Amino acid sequence: MTTLKDSIAQAADLLWAASQSGTPCDPVRTLLADGDLDAAYAVQEINTKRSLDAGRRLVGRKIGLTSKAVQAQLGVGQPDYGMLFADMAVAEGEDIALSAVLQPKVEAEIAFILGDDLDDEHLTPADVMNAIDYAVAAIEVVGSRVAKWDIRILDTIADNASSGLYVLGSEPRTLGEFDPRLCGMVMEKKGEPVSVGAGAACLGNPLTAALWLAKTMVRVGRPLRAGDTILSGALGPMAPAAPGDVFEARINGLGSVRASFGRE
Amino acid sequence: MMSLQTLADRVDTAAHTANAIAQLTDEVPGLTVEDAYAIQALSMKRRYARGEARIGVKMGLTSRAKMIQVGVDEVIWGRLTDGMRLEEGATLSRANYVHPRAEPEIAFLLKAPLAGEVTAAEAMAAVEAIAPAIEIIDSRYQDFKFTLPDVVADNSSSSGFILGTWFAPDTPIDNLGILLEADGRAVQVGSTAAILGHPVRSLVAAARMVARAGEALKPGDIILAGGATAAHPLSVGMHMRAVFQNLGSVGITVTE
Repeated sequence: MTTLKDSIAQAADLLWAASQSGTPCDPVRTLLADGDLDAAYAVQEINTKRSLDAGRRLVGRKIGLTSKAVQAQLGVGQPDYGMLFADMAVAEGEDIALSAVLQPKVEAEIAFILGDDLDDEHLTPADVMNAIDYAVAAIEVVGSRVAKWDIRILDTIADNASSGLYVLGSEPRTLGEFDPRLCGMVMEKKGEPVSVGAGAACLGNPLTAALWLAKTMVRVGRPLRAGDTILSGALGPMAPAAPGDVFEARINGLGSVRASFGRE
Repeated sequence: MMSLQTLADRVDTAAHTANAIAQLTDEVPGLTVEDAYAIQALSMKRRYARGEARIGVKMGLTSRAKMIQVGVDEVIWGRLTDGMRLEEGATLSRANYVHPRAEPEIAFLLKAPLAGEVTAAEAMAAVEAIAPAIEIIDSRYQDFKFTLPDVVADNSSSSGFILGTWFAPDTPIDNLGILLEADGRAVQVGSTAAILGHPVRSLVAAARMVARAGEALKPGDIILAGGATAAHPLSVGMHMRAVFQNLGSVGITVTE
């Protein structure tokens, strides 16, 4: 008889193999019980441990499913999270190899960089604001190890929240220097807007997403640390990326950031 | 073919009495966009005859998404009259509309004429002030369904507008975040960048398209640059508010 533990291990193996081979796998939700988010996070945790054992350095978290539209689409009422490792950070101007992310898409986000640990059991919005050292514009390159992005909530949670790579802008701003809720966002490709939005598209306010993450990380025993990067969630719809594409995202008050994809 | 005047009478009566009609192209499949602008001009003459005055123009289909949706590669325009202007913070009577929707927009107020091919710099030099705005769009066609000639004939769905506070013309407006809120809850989130990448491009297009119709944008004219987000339906009792980064807000309450 297959136990839940076996199913979780099997799902983790499938996703790990897909990430190593570059060949996407079938959805893993069929291995888990409907609505069992804990099991999906257990799958993610197995591969997080594998990554850490392999020497990858944990440098932050990403928050996903922060838009009402996407939550409705997946039938959930809360965001999800994934791990950011040092090898996922791409320097601005560096070409992104298409082989580095499976089925890449791009999203513009606000990244918060922490100056303090957030490990208290009872965190408040003020704690989070106090802990943020600065914010920068970011482009997240999301990817899915699941073939054709055929994902439901359990698949994306198990698959490290469909994380890929990310690029940070280089104009750090403190919280008082821009409006995280009302800042306009436009991401362009070849001079055409491919995604437009504003801060409030992320859970009403990206700081709300950051607080949710910080509390959740304390609860699951991987609290956020000083120096960690938080990708707080998309400010507009995601856009598909193709060979040679160059995206520029501008967030009003927070500067701009570019992500360029290699031609092959 | 049915005369353009007959079709103009039909769309104007629909707007005037707030009754939905069938699409003109159902009956006249060969209707061109050029015909449609002629119908719009004729229908507006009926409004002027009733005492309304033209005080500006509105631009439509200014987002790439909407152009693709309707299958066109040019923006459209319609005329604004003083009768369409609603007071900020006041009420809108639902009974005066067929199925009204609200869109957040940027409004330009001109201090100098603009006509024909102008540069963005020339266009901005003619601007006296800019303001946040809500446009009330209300297609007179059943189920808000129409083809390109239908919507142009129907004054590009324009039916009302509300202006907020005027700001200096050098206020940056290229990427202002916008929330459209119904009863205090965000129903649309966007940026002024959705308006052709920059709202001034819409003003440039307005000067060109209005000139093509033999008219000009005049000092004192108001130009609504086009929706920055999808439109949201209005219902009785709703308070609709658009909040703009750096420009404050503009709102209206819907009554019966």
